[in-house]
Amino acid sequence: MFSQLTIITKLWKASIIQAMEYRGSFMFSIVANFFDFIFGLLQYLVFFTAAKSIAGWDSDNMLTLYSVFMFIYSLQFIFLYPNIAALAEMVNTGGLDLLLSKPVDARLFILLRKISLEELGSLCTSIVLFIWLISKGAVLITAQSILLFLISIFSALTIVYSIYITLTALAIMLEKMEDASEFIWSLFSFCRYPTDIYPSKIKFLFFTFFPIAYISTVPAQTLSGLGSAKPVIYGLIISIVSLLISSAIWKKTIKSYTSAGG
Amino acid sequence: MFYLKAHAAIFKAYLKIMLTYRGMMLLHMFRVVLMPLVIATAWLSIEKVDSNPYKNSDYLLYYLLVPLVMNLTNSRSVFKFPVSVRDGTLSRELIKPYPPLMSIVIESFSNNLQMLLYLVPFTLICTFLFQSHLDFSFLSFKFFPIFILAVFFGALLRMFISGSIALTGFWLEDVTTLNLLLNGSIWALLGGMIIPVATFPEKIRHIAELLPYRYMLSFPIEIFSGKLTNAAIYKGFSVMLFWTIVFYFTARFIWKRGIKIYSAYGG
Repeated sequence: MFSQLTIITKLWKASIIQAMEYRGSFMFSIVANFFDFIFGLLQYLVFFTAAKSIAGWDSDNMLTLYSVFMFIYSLQFIFLYPNIAALAEMVNTGGLDLLLSKPVDARLFILLRKISLEELGSLCTSIVLFIWLISKGAVLITAQSILLFLISIFSALTIVYSIYITLTALAIMLEKMEDASEFIWSLFSFCRYPTDIYPSKIKFLFFTFFPIAYISTVPAQTLSGLGSAKPVIYGLIISIVSLLISSAIWKKTIKSYTSAGG
Repeated sequence: MFYLKAHAAIFKAYLKIMLTYRGMMLLHMFRVVLMPLVIATAWLSIEKVDSNPYKNSDYLLYYLLVPLVMNLTNSRSVFKFPVSVRDGTLSRELIKPYPPLMSIVIESFSNNLQMLLYLVPFTLICTFLFQSHLDFSFLSFKFFPIFILAVFFGALLRMFISGSIALTGFWLEDVTTLNLLLNGSIWALLGGMIIPVATFPEKIRHIAELLPYRYMLSFPIEIFSGKLTNAAIYKGFSVMLFWTIVFYFTARFIWKRGIKIYSAYGG
């Protein structure tokens, strides 16, 4: 395992060196992502010119949700997204066949071999927004809320990783996943708003079989004083179950994979 | 002279290619309808301020039409052109006796058209399911041809804006971020994706009405819902035509400058 992590670190280093070849383009991407974050923030502010609250969430609660959402979104974009974006080509050109024949954990290498630092702008801005919310007193800071927040962030990242494993398996099955970026953007669009906006049956779905509620709503609730410890614990259990299920889907896909065009 | 036979052949070829990946088309449809559905749900759960002119039925009708209009005005050239510069496909296109960018435009058009196979039934089913919550009293069939015209020019405008961004691919390694900013975030904010333009505070609404983004989404829907006066429709078309001409010449200018410095990848 350690040797595999060493190889992945070296691959990340290579990705960064490659990105640095086009320094202007790289810096522009970071600045553009920063502005993308600002426009996202403006969307919430304009939203609240026509609304007093969204399903009981006031503007401070929504900003907490936005900073949590962008934190998770940026992290997945930095570590996971560049890999799934290149997967279709990998499947179609037979690169996947080559990787499967190597003595490494194929799933780990498919999901983590590349890194993209373009979303650093959004990541840093989400942290700045979060610090501003703390200084403003809009976020509940107690030992219990911090502990629950950290557990819920761990669950959120595990669920996102599981979604990526499932998407990877889907990309291998479909052999065409060019729109992965927009698909993931759409998937995350569920997390831009609290799950409280949905009817109870859909809300139940989001807390159980399609557990996106744990990606941004539950972590934001722990700091907004809107929730309890219960959903955090459920989130932890569900994230582990998601990981197990997605691993099983991955194994089944690889077992039935018959090479490109096979 | 107008390459009609060639256009038809390329169009047919792209339709066949897309039919090969039907599963992907379904996922694509999911992407197109998802965000409007989420936003519509958010709007239906809000506690409105008194000055908000939209009722729940207005929000519902608006977001039922968003996927259709969004798809019809969509342009995929921004993803395709920079790739053709990087992998050298453009060099091959340049020596063909056919307009080099036309196949990208036709691919985008055939994709949008094919998506209607999924989107039209989806919209009709949703309309049927939510008919008791919808208010059709505003609807007027006299606005229908104007709506079609607004969608056509909206698509043209988006094609030129996306085209201008795509053509910067002559200089930029990756235009995705530039597109995200100019064609994604600002469009979502001022085009009426997140918030219907009619519900903006007055000052922001005036700004949105002067910028091109509203005309690619919100404007055709507002016409369809009968929410605009004749004067507002004329004014809207004038602003839309102005921006279409501006971006047509912008795209032409960038193409002419870009093609002069283009030397094929690694050349």
